[in-house]
Amino acid sequence: MVTRTLPLKKRGFSFEVFMWAFTRFTVIAMYGLIIVGILGGLRLSMMTGVNFGDIMYWAFFPNMAENPLGQVWMNLVTRLMVIAFVLSACGHGVHGVLEILDDYFTSELARRWSRNFIITYAIVASLVAMYVILTK
Amino acid sequence: MGLKRNVSLSTALGYKGQGPYLTFILHRIGGSALFILFTVYILSLLGVQSMHTLMGNWVFQIVFLVFGLFHAINGLRITILDLFPKLIEHFRTAINIEWVVYVLVAGFAVFVVIRNAMGG
Repeated sequence: MVTRTLPLKKRGFSFEVFMWAFTRFTVIAMYGLIIVGILGGLRLSMMTGVNFGDIMYWAFFPNMAENPLGQVWMNLVTRLMVIAFVLSACGHGVHGVLEILDDYFTSELARRWSRNFIITYAIVASLVAMYVILTK
Repeated sequence: MGLKRNVSLSTALGYKGQGPYLTFILHRIGGSALFILFTVYILSLLGVQSMHTLMGNWVFQIVFLVFGLFHAINGLRITILDLFPKLIEHFRTAINIEWVVYVLVAGFAVFVVIRNAMGG
């Protein structure tokens, strides 16, 4: 099989190239943050002797379960890391959903409104998520 | 107006796409599922009781684990092939490896959820 690869320099810097790179880099950031999160959870588990699964549960559902460790891990760095994850996920998701919607909406008006809706949704969801992360 | 493709899903899967097309369509379904999960999760964190209950439902958890894990594992394959284009020659092998990893991970996840739903 012949593979054709085009160096980034020759691709130019169109919207598609930018969004392709953006989607790839946000997903790499998400994988990196997931690994750091798992390692952080394992470290906390080692330090406190608490089950790793329980730590993950308390981290994901801060307002649903009583957390006996209190605010041990929820320092500013952790909160910023979680915010970075949410923003990466939002950026990645917005482009993904737009790509799907663009396949089904062909009129200019429908595309414009779907874009407006999804970008507004992403901004509102990110703000709500940041509020929850910083206040809970 | 929507596109008129006149190609059914089964026809598309049976055409030259086959395995790669299946991963493509499952990746989209997984992404859409995660989008819904994100919304439910945010609302649940905000204290919406119905979303809280939904998050605790084992059927809901299984659906999102099955599709969400596929999206994550398939996304990892796509990213690796994008960043190392020379590996594209082996993309069918990569898909086979992906399926093995996915079945193991998703199988374990579903097992854990069902075991907990049955009372441990």
